[in-house]
Amino acid sequence: MIIPLLKVTNLSKSYDNIVGCKNISMSLYPGEVLGIVGESGSGKTTLINCLSGNLEPDRGKIIFNINNKETDFLNISESEKRKFIRTDLAFVHQNPRDGLRLNVSAGGNIGEKLMSVGYRHYGNIRSLATKWVNKVEIDKSRIDDLPITFSGGMLQRLQIAKNLITSPNVIFMDEPTGGLDVSVQARVLDLIRSLVNELNLTVIIVSHDLAVIRLLADKMIVMKNGTVIESGLSDQVLEDPQQEYTQLLVSSVLQV
Amino acid sequence: MIEVKKVNKSFTLFNQNNAKITVFKNLNFEVNPGEIVALKGPSGIGKSSILKMIYGSYIIDKGAIIINNKNIATLSAQEILKLRKTSIGYVSQFLKVIPRISALDVIMEPLLNSGDNKNNAYKKSIKLLKELNIEKNLWHLSPLTFSGGEQQRINIARGFIKDLPYLLLDEPTASLDSRNRDIIINLIKAKSNRGVSIIGIFHDEYSRKKLNVREIDLNIETKH
Repeated sequence: MIIPLLKVTNLSKSYDNIVGCKNISMSLYPGEVLGIVGESGSGKTTLINCLSGNLEPDRGKIIFNINNKETDFLNISESEKRKFIRTDLAFVHQNPRDGLRLNVSAGGNIGEKLMSVGYRHYGNIRSLATKWVNKVEIDKSRIDDLPITFSGGMLQRLQIAKNLITSPNVIFMDEPTGGLDVSVQARVLDLIRSLVNELNLTVIIVSHDLAVIRLLADKMIVMKNGTVIESGLSDQVLEDPQQEYTQLLVSSVLQV
Repeated sequence: MIEVKKVNKSFTLFNQNNAKITVFKNLNFEVNPGEIVALKGPSGIGKSSILKMIYGSYIIDKGAIIINNKNIATLSAQEILKLRKTSIGYVSQFLKVIPRISALDVIMEPLLNSGDNKNNAYKKSIKLLKELNIEKNLWHLSPLTFSGGEQQRINIARGFIKDLPYLLLDEPTASLDSRNRDIIINLIKAKSNRGVSIIGIFHDEYSRKKLNVREIDLNIETKH
């Protein structure tokens, strides 16, 4: 019997009297990629912000089980929580400028992340950073350049490297290809996909693009008005949607 | 063995005046190890739907589909993912191509995902590409630009690369010339000789004859 890496029970979050997300329950197993879809305002971002520790939910339970160690995420001290977020979680923002420091070199951005989890030896940091820059298809001659000299696609790939270098156990991605040109999008998606396969990553990815979900996610949930209205295997939800809203979503995709 | 027991399937189209389309009522059949079953019937009768229900990408409204003593209708998402990985190969009608991924990588992927080492996966994939007559200069290119027949063969290679006890084939011999069709037929026969339970949709009489299939006529099965 496999224990879920993440188990969420009846999670709710409101902003004054506006519902962010309501009674969300779900499980995620090691190596799975979960897609979250829904229109703007459906609560996708509220949900992953609660799960990743960026927002404090009003009610509910979030239990991580990593290497047989259970963490009751909403009932640990602030310092334990900070440490858990730093070492076990990662967050890839839609806008790479939110996840990077633009006045610090590319290598420095990655190095900082390593130092935050305890790396001290400069040579090790440098060689790991170089390896990861290379892994996300950025020429290593650019490692000392400032991110402001990078294109949008390169920035996003750098942000991904920065997030993955410390081998986090759960990676959150909020519309990781949202702000990119279509051709650049394909490359970033491809990169994410190959890293997911190679490193057996556990990922929660928010996207309004069903093609992205189809490509990356094993399972998906569909959100509307703060609640999960449908969930299941991605291909099942996309090919045989059971809810009116999901059918509308799927049938609204333009075919090329 | 695959057992389809008293299966009902319908679709409700909420955005089209809640139209309800009933595809099957009380569908029953089984596929034994080493047997090749061909689903027969006009287009729209639900041949592909059966394959998708077995694969878990269509919901089973009522009844059971039993594989490895497990009922697909009641498995959780992660149990279905696991069952697919260990037991079910599925060749869809069209290859879903991902930009920038080479034909070789597309074929190797299922092996790598179940923990096979790279060298082994590479060797197996090359062997299959050769058997399938795919020219060497295409191996490292994305199948996106391939012809329909070439794409179909890559799709088959991806579905056949692992040794799995169940195979679902959605028109594997469509869009192939007669020489390549014979190659595929021989690959399917080889799987069947190794005891794989195969269920497929074959549009041509020739393939059905050569494969010595047992036909299930959905026109008869679905007359209620």
